[in-house]
Amino acid sequence: MSRMRLLPQKTNQWLRAAAQPGGIVGVLGALVLVAATTLLLEAVKGFLDLPPVVITYLIPVLIAAIRWGLVSAMVATLAGAASAAFFFYRPIHTFYVEDPARRLGLLLFAVVATVAAYLAVRMRREAEIVRRREKEISDLYAFSRRLAGGHSTSDIFDAIEKHLATVVGRRVALFEPRGPSGRSEPIGESDVPQKVRETVAAVIAGRADGAASTAIADEHGNHWLVRAVSPKTPDLGVVAIDLGMQTPESEQEIRARIEAVLFDAASTIEKIGLAHAITEVRMRAESERFRDALIGSVSHELRTPLASILGAATVLCNAPAVAGDARLASLANVVRDESERLNNEIQNLLDATRITGEALQPKLEWAEVPDIVNAAVERRRIRFGSHAVEIDLPGETPLIQVDAVLIEKALGQLLTNAAKYSPPGSRITIRGWREGETLALAVSDEGAGLTADDSAHLGERFFRGRRHVQTTPGSGLGFWIANAFVTANGGTIEAISAGEDKGTTVTMRLPIPANVEQLESISSE
Amino acid sequence: MSDAAAAPNVLVVDDELQIRRFLRSGFELDGYSVSEAENGREAIRAATLRPTDLIILDLALPDLDGSQVLERIRSWSNVPIIILSVKSSEMEKVRLFELGADDYVTKPFGMAELLARSKVVLRRKARATTGDSVIRIDRLRIDLAARNVFVEDERLTLTPKEYRLLQILAQYPGNVVTHQELLKEIWGLPHINDTHYLRIVVRKLRQKIESEPNHPRILLTELGVGYRLAPPNEPSDAQAS
Repeated sequence: MSRMRLLPQKTNQWLRAAAQPGGIVGVLGALVLVAATTLLLEAVKGFLDLPPVVITYLIPVLIAAIRWGLVSAMVATLAGAASAAFFFYRPIHTFYVEDPARRLGLLLFAVVATVAAYLAVRMRREAEIVRRREKEISDLYAFSRRLAGGHSTSDIFDAIEKHLATVVGRRVALFEPRGPSGRSEPIGESDVPQKVRETVAAVIAGRADGAASTAIADEHGNHWLVRAVSPKTPDLGVVAIDLGMQTPESEQEIRARIEAVLFDAASTIEKIGLAHAITEVRMRAESERFRDALIGSVSHELRTPLASILGAATVLCNAPAVAGDARLASLANVVRDESERLNNEIQNLLDATRITGEALQPKLEWAEVPDIVNAAVERRRIRFGSHAVEIDLPGETPLIQVDAVLIEKALGQLLTNAAKYSPPGSRITIRGWREGETLALAVSDEGAGLTADDSAHLGERFFRGRRHVQTTPGSGLGFWIANAFVTANGGTIEAISAGEDKGTTVTMRLPIPANVEQLESISSE
Repeated sequence: MSDAAAAPNVLVVDDELQIRRFLRSGFELDGYSVSEAENGREAIRAATLRPTDLIILDLALPDLDGSQVLERIRSWSNVPIIILSVKSSEMEKVRLFELGADDYVTKPFGMAELLARSKVVLRRKARATTGDSVIRIDRLRIDLAARNVFVEDERLTLTPKEYRLLQILAQYPGNVVTHQELLKEIWGLPHINDTHYLRIVVRKLRQKIESEPNHPRILLTELGVGYRLAPPNEPSDAQAS
């Protein structure tokens, strides 16, 4: 501990040590405490038989030990013994003590005080260690929780940066070696000087040694420390730590502490398999990007010939020569219906690509709920076949602020699912109602329902219920798309089923803007 | 312009041979006479050379952008134009409607749908040339000359904004008018983004003219784009009432 080094070699070092708790403050504090004790004893000695005076001086010694440490306690011991000799032991007002027993008493006091002070200091230090451990553990816990919740490398690096900032206790900027933009950007919004950025770039590019930390001064005289988080690889990021305005000597010290902390952090990070996690996340992101690009271009290429097929099939269906022959007509209908279906699947793939491609930016506009419901039903009218579709909306629904096209698509997905997984002739109900500050829209069917397993996996991309994989065609994208579209509009979606073959009700809830009543009160004059 | 009794001429503009083929068959089976163009320049030339009643225009052309072709043709002719596109973005639709497209059909589509829409735009043009100022849609009758609106012979009291909305839509019944155009026409440029004004007026107007305001049959919503009136009744019904 730095406060132990009280033998100054240089004045400024001594001053610095003195400024620390237990330094000059501790010495002065000890003297004040002893003086106060002396005054107290002086005040009471007129009307009380004094207890063994010297014992009383243990009080300032122990306080000084706990508050400021051993040096301060030693000062208090010496001052206490001196005060006792000077003020209370005959001859008074000299440091000489006449009575040999009292001389022995003073000696014993010094020994007892030293031992007690030592024990008190040790106790305090241990308590401090325990407290620090506790904090470290809770920091680490928070860190690992953040790591587990990270979906991308940026999330992980963000967590590392926060963790390092906590343990180092200074402004920290962490640079991701290969960020999403392909360049090395600091994770947080911290403004890092250009000079520091250049050094970071050099470390990442392998032009500078990342293991040894480099100190740089920026144009304001602030010192920055740059080094790789792990001395083995820049993959865990490169960190720049703001040391502030420091003298070279104090910098040495802080640097040593930061090195230690970073060493610990790096080994912790390695232990929890972070390097692996980062590679994995990165690979997953790459492969998703690749897949989405593929799906995007493939679906576009598929649509063009499909437009010809579907168009030609619809012409055939209505051509007198075909329509007059029942067998030919039914074949032409097959071509038409199946190309419709193919088209819908392609549309789903395209929508899915939009979601993962993060191109999903809802265009919020005031919308009438009945308009959305009608459009969704109308667009899928043919697909309902013999299903009875019932719409139950209140006389007046509040306006909502959503991307009506996205919500219509989400509702359409729910309707398609309802029609697909319920027997022909059964009823599909769309119900809308106000529920406090949200508008609820529910699609209910009388069909296959959901098993516990279905419910658990429903939100997953490409999930298909085990009972339907063989019997009903589908890609498992519908609910996932609906969920993503509704969420993008600030809503929630929830599927409830009483069980197998007991029907399903999917409810989406969309926020009703707070100022809607005021907006609706405008007149149409 | 061809004689009303003769088969209407439709010009099909698409660079895909297969698309042109089925469009030709589909239109011919429905009694149209068809001419084709496979790029933008050819389309513009064909539209100037031959009398054309309807143009089916694909957006993705090898030489010019479909919207450029639309703009050029609109500079001298108000022949009905239906846009075909694989893109179904609402922003794109709004842009094309404002450039003067009469309708927009997303590829892939069924022939029946395209024929139905073609009939609507052709009828609109026929009505525009006869200059009839009374429009009948379902049970609604709008007399643009007398500025009166009736539902089954009962005269409605409309606010000025409600009437203005109906009037703008009735100028091209069946045609989509975008939100921005309506807002600009009725409330003026500063309110071009106040969609809620429009929603409230539409809601109130529907309560007056629709039998089920939550399920409109006359004043229809084109989600994310605008509003349109349902196609007017056939002239024969009009005479009957």
